Amino acid sequence: MAIKIALAGNPNSGKTTLFNDLTGSNQFVGNWPGVTVEKKEGKLKGHDDVVIQDLPGIYSLSPYTLEEVVARGYLVGEKPDAILNIIDGTNIERNLYLTTQLIELGIPVVMAVNMIDLVRKNGDAIDLKRLSKELGCEAVAISALKGEGSRQAAELAVAAAQHRRTGELPHVFTGSVEHAIAHIEESIQGKVDARFLRWYAVKLFERDDKVQQELGLDDTTLAHIDAHIADCEKEMDDDAESIITNQRYAYINTVVGRAVQKKARTEHMTASDKIDRIVTNRILALPIFAVVMALIYTIAMGSTGFSFGTMATDWTNDVLFGEVVPPAVSGFLESIGCAPWLSGLIVDGIVAGVGAVLGFVPQMLVLFLLLSILEDVGYMARVAFIMDRIFRRFGLSGKSFIPMLVGTGCGVPGVMASRTIENERDRRMTIMTTCFIPCSAKMPIIGLFAGALFGGSGLVATSAYFIGMAAIIVSGIMLKKTKLFAGDPAPFVMELPAYHIPAWGNVLRATWERGWSFIKRAGSVILASTIVLWFLQGFGFTDGAFGMVEDNNTSLLASIGGAVSFVFAPLGFGDWRSTVATVTGLIAKENVVATFAVLFGFAGEVSENGDEIWGTIAANFTALTAYSFMIFNLLCAPCFAAMGAIKREMNNPRWTAIAIGYMCLLAYCTSLVVYQLGGLVTGEVAFNFFTVVAAALVVLALWLLLRPNKYEGVNETSYRAKAAASSKA
Amino acid sequence: MPLTMAKPGEVLTIRKITGRDEVRQHLAELGFVVGELVCVVNELGGNLIVQVKESRVALDKTLAARILAS
Repeated sequence: MAIKIALAGNPNSGKTTLFNDLTGSNQFVGNWPGVTVEKKEGKLKGHDDVVIQDLPGIYSLSPYTLEEVVARGYLVGEKPDAILNIIDGTNIERNLYLTTQLIELGIPVVMAVNMIDLVRKNGDAIDLKRLSKELGCEAVAISALKGEGSRQAAELAVAAAQHRRTGELPHVFTGSVEHAIAHIEESIQGKVDARFLRWYAVKLFERDDKVQQELGLDDTTLAHIDAHIADCEKEMDDDAESIITNQRYAYINTVVGRAVQKKARTEHMTASDKIDRIVTNRILALPIFAVVMALIYTIAMGSTGFSFGTMATDWTNDVLFGEVVPPAVSGFLESIGCAPWLSGLIVDGIVAGVGAVLGFVPQMLVLFLLLSILEDVGYMARVAFIMDRIFRRFGLSGKSFIPMLVGTGCGVPGVMASRTIENERDRRMTIMTTCFIPCSAKMPIIGLFAGALFGGSGLVATSAYFIGMAAIIVSGIMLKKTKLFAGDPAPFVMELPAYHIPAWGNVLRATWERGWSFIKRAGSVILASTIVLWFLQGFGFTDGAFGMVEDNNTSLLASIGGAVSFVFAPLGFGDWRSTVATVTGLIAKENVVATFAVLFGFAGEVSENGDEIWGTIAANFTALTAYSFMIFNLLCAPCFAAMGAIKREMNNPRWTAIAIGYMCLLAYCTSLVVYQLGGLVTGEVAFNFFTVVAAALVVLALWLLLRPNKYEGVNETSYRAKAAASSKA
Repeated sequence: MPLTMAKPGEVLTIRKITGRDEVRQHLAELGFVVGELVCVVNELGGNLIVQVKESRVALDKTLAARILAS
């Protein structure tokens, strides 16, 4: 039977590095059932029968974040054979807080004291033997970054799992608290697994409602237990949870006093503090951030000599999927005598469609690489802190900023990045608004209209970002006043890791994981939809007979587009071609340009911003209708890949529908207002029924923005509060 | 005094953490407990970066105001 070892530890304790070091490439990445917290497991190198389960970084087993709920659920529910507890040696007190709780679980624990090199550099010394004796479990010093001691720690955990040996529980609690816990143990003895007796007793003392429910104790027992707790609370003049916390820290202090020798610090400011003084300085913080971002986007998506992302993507688009792959594929298909319709499907449908999306991969990888570096170095956490002050004004937390930042590259990883937000409501709101920021695939649409109708003005692109930001801000303010999103954003509290040089293994792995999940989506959703689109575009009824059509104006797609195009008439682009372009934009936003090229009968390959068809576009659109069309396509439902990400992250059909419905509705209303009211001013549109609708929408929006918030002060901060509320109901 | 009024660089001892909710518990898990030393590293628009038990924690204004130290 396979041995299961859980890897547990505080966030930023080097857990990911240790996990990568122990398992190498033998990893399986998935999701924990029911939630979207990433689940990683891997086989220990050289031991096919040992599975290492990486748990999310946690501070405690009293869940505050979704990650902590998951980790606790796994440890208590699945009962791994051993726990490998990674401890940041430079912050040993805080890290041992979790350790004391893990030991109570009755599962063999091995402590891996990480960053031992830094501890030594600081002039401190940790007496591992003493630490091990005090806590009743083995302790080993490691440096995960250098791979020092990692193997030994894993071997010890395997041995502990095989022998199932748990040491004597340390005496964490004292006096009347220990007395009360012993009484609780007595009254639940026989009702729980003997190994977990202490864990359950302590949790009952903390009045943990999940454990109360799980054990299903009768009222007399509960009353008996509560009497003990109340006595204790009265004596200590504190609430039960705080009593436990304080005693844990008091115990840890004695242990650390005996086992750790700290050199007196002469210099109080660490290097990280000094960097923080500059990077989060009240005057410099935003300019520094702007420079960092400008640099990243220039490298990933700019058009300079060092814009590696753009160069790689251009090569993929123009050479790989332009000159190399299509001729090779069609040549091969010809040589084997493939039917023309099938080779049409493969070359024009699949290769062209999937190739268009894969062309973005190099750019994505460069962007992900740079963002992963920022994350690994520790800068991302500071960004959330810097932006919190600004985002809080319209009901979002600073942590919502990172998804939006990533979303400027691609909405898929942007939506996925929302996972770190602990408050469910904030997370949902972030998922709903992230895609308003123009992603790199929406740039060609902007380029097309800017070039065709606005003389290539850079203001069009700027205004697109501005509209995206405005949509986020307006949505934040409006939605916070609805029942669905009522309440203040969760208070901002976040540990800022010490700055360090990036661990390249981690950075490359994180880049690849994000990139690969993007490629996988391209391979599934986009592949399927390009086939459908190719069929709709290429087939239709001509002279009453169904078959392949020469002129795509008679295709099925044209008929469908024509039938629904009236919906967009009030927005100024009721033409069937615009409708079809909008629909194909759902497959991938940059498809809009290619679709216009095809539908306006341009033979040949168009460049990314379609300058070959600027003339035709200018003839078919006015500045106003073009702008209205652009706004709609920027704000409405994102591409299928991003919708898939939304569905996965929301993990709830109703919320997925709300999110996508909201985006479409907002896009429609905004375009309607811009076209109708703008048209009235320029004289392009006469006063009509929709003018009134547009005016009413403006009034409604103002009311939604300015009305008093009747849910002010309603606060449901976390999973723990929610669980408590539902158990009371 | 609340932590919001502390000068950057000054080392203080936590005297009290007001409010009784799960955020207080979470603060305790991060190391904010009575008797512990804290030091404000930096301040940005009322939000703080605080040094506690060898780690840096970012706190918003409302939370920082709940931590009384002297």
